[in-house]
Amino acid sequence: MSGPDRIVIEGIGAVGGFGCGISVLSRALTEASSSPGTFDLSTGSGTVRIPAFLADVSRLGEFIPVRTLRRIDRFSRLALLGSHLALADAELPEAERSRLGIIIASGYGATGITYAFLKSFISDGDICASPTYFANSVHNSAAAHISIQLGATGPSLTVTHFHLSVPSALATARLWLAEGRVQRVLFGAVDELSELIGYVRFRMRHAPPDTPMTPLWTEMETSIPAEGAAFLLLARESAARGGYCTLEASTTGSMPNSGVPFPEAGLLVLGADGCPESGGRYAAAAQNVRVACYTPLYGSMPSGPAFDVAAGALILKGGRLFPSPGAAFRDFPATVPAGGDPVGTDRIACLTLAEDNAYGLTTLGKLPDTACVRAREGRTSS
Amino acid sequence: MTTVEKLKAILVKDLNLEELTPGDIDENAPLFGEGLGLDSLDAVELVVVVQKHFGIDIQNMDEAKAAFQSVRSLASYIEGRLSGG
Amino acid sequence: MSVEPIPITGMGCICAAGRNLSDSMRALLRGERHPAPPVRFASDHPIPHPVFEAVDFEEPPDFLRTSAFALHAAREAIADAGLDRESLGALRVGVCVGTTVGAVMSDETFCRGCLAGEVPDMAPIRRILRSNPADVIAREFGLSGPRQTVVTACSSGTDAVGIAGSWIRAGLCDAAIAGGADELGRITYIGFISLMITDDSPCKPFDRHRKGLNLGEGAAMVVLASERVLRRSGMRARSLVLGYGSAGDAYHLTAPRPDGAGLRSAISEALAASGVSPASVAFVNAHGTGTPDNDRVESRVLQDMLPGVPFLSTKGYTGHTLGAAGAIEAVFTAACLEMGKIPANAGFETPDPEIGITPVREVTMVEGTVALSESLAFGGNNSVVVLGKA
Repeated sequence: MSGPDRIVIEGIGAVGGFGCGISVLSRALTEASSSPGTFDLSTGSGTVRIPAFLADVSRLGEFIPVRTLRRIDRFSRLALLGSHLALADAELPEAERSRLGIIIASGYGATGITYAFLKSFISDGDICASPTYFANSVHNSAAAHISIQLGATGPSLTVTHFHLSVPSALATARLWLAEGRVQRVLFGAVDELSELIGYVRFRMRHAPPDTPMTPLWTEMETSIPAEGAAFLLLARESAARGGYCTLEASTTGSMPNSGVPFPEAGLLVLGADGCPESGGRYAAAAQNVRVACYTPLYGSMPSGPAFDVAAGALILKGGRLFPSPGAAFRDFPATVPAGGDPVGTDRIACLTLAEDNAYGLTTLGKLPDTACVRAREGRTSS
Repeated sequence: MTTVEKLKAILVKDLNLEELTPGDIDENAPLFGEGLGLDSLDAVELVVVVQKHFGIDIQNMDEAKAAFQSVRSLASYIEGRLSGG
Repeated sequence: MSVEPIPITGMGCICAAGRNLSDSMRALLRGERHPAPPVRFASDHPIPHPVFEAVDFEEPPDFLRTSAFALHAAREAIADAGLDRESLGALRVGVCVGTTVGAVMSDETFCRGCLAGEVPDMAPIRRILRSNPADVIAREFGLSGPRQTVVTACSSGTDAVGIAGSWIRAGLCDAAIAGGADELGRITYIGFISLMITDDSPCKPFDRHRKGLNLGEGAAMVVLASERVLRRSGMRARSLVLGYGSAGDAYHLTAPRPDGAGLRSAISEALAASGVSPASVAFVNAHGTGTPDNDRVESRVLQDMLPGVPFLSTKGYTGHTLGAAGAIEAVFTAACLEMGKIPANAGFETPDPEIGITPVREVTMVEGTVALSESLAFGGNNSVVVLGKA
């Protein structure tokens, strides 16, 4: 897969239950700890408090004036924060922003504002439906808000395909760069834990109280619902000014009977997120390969695989593995390397098992010691 | 409370003018463009706001444009409609 | 730099104009259209707005109507390509589907139950989770290749066709089912009326007295295949995807950029990718929703970039089918190239001096082998696909 047109992850922006920013994510990964907060749900039988990884979007004020945000819903605020964090991390000059392609992946889309739109006409009649809520409920509204704020007039894509969203959208990002349509793609994964999704999760996938996420356990549900945004600034290597790692490939498809084909990956990051049914499938896929799982740090959401990619990028850049959180591999005889071990590979693959026997696999590579790396290091030390 | 005062409070709340208080709004300033800085999406939201709070149905944007010059012009429009005008 | 053309080996379509592509084309060429207030759902909005429903189509209870449309059109396209489950199983086939409603996690009955403090039945949510349109097609036909559900609002169908073409060029799959699907329901109906961009009479794209769009529903799918697979499998090329381009306005959530800069970039990129000069374009299947803003911006760009090229909107026959529109219009465009004629722009009567150009007013013979299909979307997405005669 290596060639002149490699794709580089130049910057990462992340916000979630662990906190805000790449250094905070890096610390949570190093310490293998992150505690969920709580989310109050109103249900038919009163208010229920459930554990949840919630994101704090207050840092958005550092990047965008309050007045500009007045009509922008929480889903798009998460996306705007993630996108600005990634651009700041890469120190992308303002002049480069207008040429960005923008790709957003979300498992469920802007569910909070969609629910608010329904409420507007359910409570006051069809004639009182809110056009502002409706306009923001359109799936590509986050991509639109980002392009408007950045003045980015490149191509734009939004993918909403449950757990397949991230690997599927990353595949298209790679194509845009490989085809030379754009020099850079601002890629972002976003999901919001709205009232609606919180309730749906409560009804359909319900972990007992005080249960840590135990993603490969097939005995019971242990997922903790989450929200957040993970953004990657992707660039063609020739345009890149350094970065974390390369994005070697991203594939989706139906799981072959022979299992997932790992392209010589020395480490497999599992997107298992506490659902017993998929936990069993992940366990089957993870035989005979070194594995890691970081979902207990950011929780369960369909766009979570982007956080796995962020973790993989940090490992390849730092050269050291992060420990998988304690409960991740309970009762599971996998080859789980300890935290702090040398990476021992220049390939990390992130596996997502999605609905309908589909899978996604995103492969990252160690960034070779080339001019762009030196340029980056020279820049950060100056 | 006069219609003008009521409208100012409704605008701040329903159009999410978070950084303003009703007292900050000049009732004679243009709602759109350089005045309050509202746009076409706010205009259609305002149609719904008027429907919801005053029970007045504005049928098309031509009618709305005339009424939506300023807070004062909108208040006059609403008072006219409510008195059967 | 131009890219390799991708053969279209099969096409399928369902919309208010017909249950398949040939019936739909017949209705278009006869000038038939039947917009009417919705019959499948009710609204307490005081003014009924005409829509284009696919009234003779019943979806199975376990799927969203959107996904049932997608599957219906995919079946026609796959049969048209001369493929079946078995021959598809021997290939790596991807699925790329554009939609809006097919990716929405809300159901009005369920939400009403939540708001009323009840414990609503989860069946509608389970149906949504089973109904991702790309997954439904992959499941039905046992397809193993890449999958993507594209939700770029009203350009989704065009984007899905363009992206699937890229997959094949890059060797990610041998063939792909690509298109768009959307159902009409209360949420979109009420939403578009709230934006005051719907016409309470049959829509009149590019007409001086146009008042807005009418909504529609349906789906269209194409089968795309690589040249290599085409030769091996005995499929024939019915049409060609020559190129695709897309660009953002970076302007407003719902209003198009007045200077049409995003659309201009998308047209330029699509023509360059196709290696086609503006002079060789036989016709343009415009987005032409019938809203004052869209038609003004779009016609200004056409006048500048493709002067004298015949253009029309087919939304006067189908309504605006949102995520399906780009796909439905792409198959109409390909079918028109095959037949060498285009239908009249339904609903157009009075030229608009502000627009300055007029769409075709009657069935018109076209010469040439290349045509454009355009989509403009909320969020400022502009997408263009260039189709060629096989």
